[in-house]
Amino acid sequence: MAQQLQSINLVAPAFKGVNTEDSPLAQDPSFAEIADNAVIDKRGRIAARKGHTVVTTTKTVLGTDSLRAIKEFKDDAGNTKIFSVGNNKIISGTTTLVDETPGSYTITADNWKLVDFNDKIYFFQRGYEPLVYDNAGGSVVKLSTVSGAAGVASAMYGNEVLAAYGRLWTADFSSDKSTIYWSDLLIGHDWSGGTSGSIDISKVWPDGYDEIVALAAHNGLLIIFGKHSIVVYSGAEAPATMALSDTVAGVGCVDRDTVQHTGTDVLFLSHTGLKSFSRTTQQKSMPISSLSGNITKDIIAALQNEDEFFRSVYSPEEGFYLLTFTGQDVTYCFDVRGTLENGAYRVTRWPSTKFTAYTRLDDGTLYIGTTNGISTYTGYSDNGEGYRFKYYSPSLTFGDSSRIKILKKLKPTLVGANNATVFMKWAYDFDTTYATTEFTVGTQITGYYGESEYTTVEFTGGQLTNQRSLNTTGYGTSVQVGLESEIDGSPLSLQEINVMALIGKLL
Amino acid sequence: MIIANPTYIPPYYQTMTTAPPPVGGTTPSGSMTAGGTTNTIADTLGGILGGIGGFLGSTGGQQALGTGAGALLAQQAYQRLGDVGERARREASQIARQGLEQTEFKPFTVTTATGGMMGVGPEGGTTMTVSPEEAALQQQLLSGAGQFYGQAQQPMDAREQAVFERMRAAMRPEEERQRLALEERLAAQGRLGTSSAAYGGATPEMLAMATAQEEARNRAMLTAMQQAQAEQAQQAQLGGQFLSAGYVPQAQLTAAVQPAMTTAQLAQRGQLTGAGMFGEAEMSGIEALLSSGIGQANLMGQIGTGLLQQALQPTYVSGAGGGTTGGTGGGSGGGVLGTGKSMSEFLDDVIGLDPSGGGLFRLLPF
Repeated sequence: MAQQLQSINLVAPAFKGVNTEDSPLAQDPSFAEIADNAVIDKRGRIAARKGHTVVTTTKTVLGTDSLRAIKEFKDDAGNTKIFSVGNNKIISGTTTLVDETPGSYTITADNWKLVDFNDKIYFFQRGYEPLVYDNAGGSVVKLSTVSGAAGVASAMYGNEVLAAYGRLWTADFSSDKSTIYWSDLLIGHDWSGGTSGSIDISKVWPDGYDEIVALAAHNGLLIIFGKHSIVVYSGAEAPATMALSDTVAGVGCVDRDTVQHTGTDVLFLSHTGLKSFSRTTQQKSMPISSLSGNITKDIIAALQNEDEFFRSVYSPEEGFYLLTFTGQDVTYCFDVRGTLENGAYRVTRWPSTKFTAYTRLDDGTLYIGTTNGISTYTGYSDNGEGYRFKYYSPSLTFGDSSRIKILKKLKPTLVGANNATVFMKWAYDFDTTYATTEFTVGTQITGYYGESEYTTVEFTGGQLTNQRSLNTTGYGTSVQVGLESEIDGSPLSLQEINVMALIGKLL
Repeated sequence: MIIANPTYIPPYYQTMTTAPPPVGGTTPSGSMTAGGTTNTIADTLGGILGGIGGFLGSTGGQQALGTGAGALLAQQAYQRLGDVGERARREASQIARQGLEQTEFKPFTVTTATGGMMGVGPEGGTTMTVSPEEAALQQQLLSGAGQFYGQAQQPMDAREQAVFERMRAAMRPEEERQRLALEERLAAQGRLGTSSAAYGGATPEMLAMATAQEEARNRAMLTAMQQAQAEQAQQAQLGGQFLSAGYVPQAQLTAAVQPAMTTAQLAQRGQLTGAGMFGEAEMSGIEALLSSGIGQANLMGQIGTGLLQQALQPTYVSGAGGGTTGGTGGGSGGGVLGTGKSMSEFLDDVIGLDPSGGGLFRLLPF
């Protein structure tokens, strides 16, 4: 007597993102073992990320290098200008990159941080005299050349700069890792007069010694990130009287460029993963939640292997926080719209994007820096080239790991994926050799009534879905299914995968 | 300084036992004894009167005799008056010398109960000597005065600095406690390393404390200056006090001499009074002697004048007898007026013109 097929429906697979921390057998099917070039779309489905469209047409000044930082300059008069750095130059423009490096100013590193402050944009990098640009001057100049500049000395050539509470704050100097300098009120070029000052927190570190890595401002607090501890000062609006508010030992920040404000939180990358300060009004201490708890080991491994630098961006429009390890060319995408039960963000991975810089404009546009110059995060190809969307489920036991499962069919339901070739993969018992079947999605161009009906496309009611039934082979106690597709121009979302299997005998 | 039981050494005059020298080197003789002659006045007068009678009995003799005797007596009177003046000058000089001796200053020495001595020399020079103890004390006080004055003359800045340092030393512990408290407070607030240009490179609290400490330091500095000035004045005052006290033994010695000086003055006054009285008495005797001498001269002069007048008047003599001058007067016996003496002898011996002899008007020699 033939056994009845058992249907296991993977609804909204990878809805919870990647989880490499828990045992695959015990995992919720809503996690994914792999979710590359994927995001969690607005309906909670795993979907292909957007690609980037290169804006730059002339990048002579950049050469073969990539952009390392991008920042939009804005002033009260409405003037805007995009600045970027790369190829040891200060660059402006988007379509045509223009060298803005001051004369007789030699740059040998591109680890700049750019901040807007009081109608000026400032450039800070360790060991380099800060640079400044304003619309009136029209050119990037050394900070010491600004009229009224004071106290601009090598001691304050910091690697970190923060514009907050009406001042510029800088830290992380070549030989001083515990001092923070702040400028005079609203005067970013006055570092020795007015209400400028400094604070040496070498005696404040909770575990004796640390080095300042990054600064952040949040809710009247000045957050000072060390490598493995955090010091928080309250009353930073008046820095001369600001007082220690909280200290956190054992958690620090890896790099200044991982710190992002989300409005209610400050995200940063620590040695143990992505962390955030959750704002509390009831508690005086600042609890730290782990936001990368599902990929902790992966993050740590990436940290240990990183030999270049980190880049990050927060996009409320996209609802993600991107963290890029440029040396390994891998980006983790954290969905910040909500956290899971364990407090972690849903996370996907974007490998081989070549993204090296980000910035978000006020209009929500996300600029991405690559070797091609400046791109926008839009479309579904990387500057005309496709990228591989991957989804792999955790190993599925269908509730009974002692019985053999014989896959009969896979029925994925896809949204979008116009003309895309989709590869369905499965493997048994943790084998990394996958069986594959493929199919091509038909034309999924939306046809609107009165425009294209009966002419070029089939009339549709909106976004098209595509459901296939694919025969499978083999058997095993656990089954892992996957889906890959080359994204080259069209979005793709994975609505569900219905796995049809026979439950066999006990082993 | 109190000097107890000063031993009063009586001055010289108190110990003088020598009686004032007898007044005058000569004993004025008021009596007019006819020393040196054996004739009594009655005899002499009888002889003279007899001689005069006899002489007058003869006209020529009487005139010659009257003229010669009168002239001689007038000459002798003149001579006597000159001798009287000379003797008065000589006697006065003698009295003056004796007065100088009698009023000459007598050296004396005063010794106080504490051993101090003051000696007054013959020339009036004064020698004061305090006792060894007083001398030591005086030396100590004067040395102290010198030290105080020396300190008062020291530059002010060094003392000001010293006072300031002592004040600061007293202030530092509290300042240190405050600093530590602030340091702990700032450390607790994590603000130990805060430096603000608006607060002089520190925190507001540190600036406030530094300001307070600076104000205290400034006050200490001003107080130190005032203290140094006060101490300078005090040093000068102490120097003055020590200097004054250093002269106390001397002053006390001088004060102890004052009664002795009074006593000496009393003795001196008595000495001077005695000398004056001596002089006055001597001068009175001399004056009496001079008066008698003048009287004698005047009498002699009057006699001589009388004789001359009588001799120069025409006379009417009856009877025999009488002779000429140098004749036989009287009738009985030879010589002038029957005295058997020549005129010269008559004047010397009978009238008494020879001071060493007798005679009726013998004059005392001057």
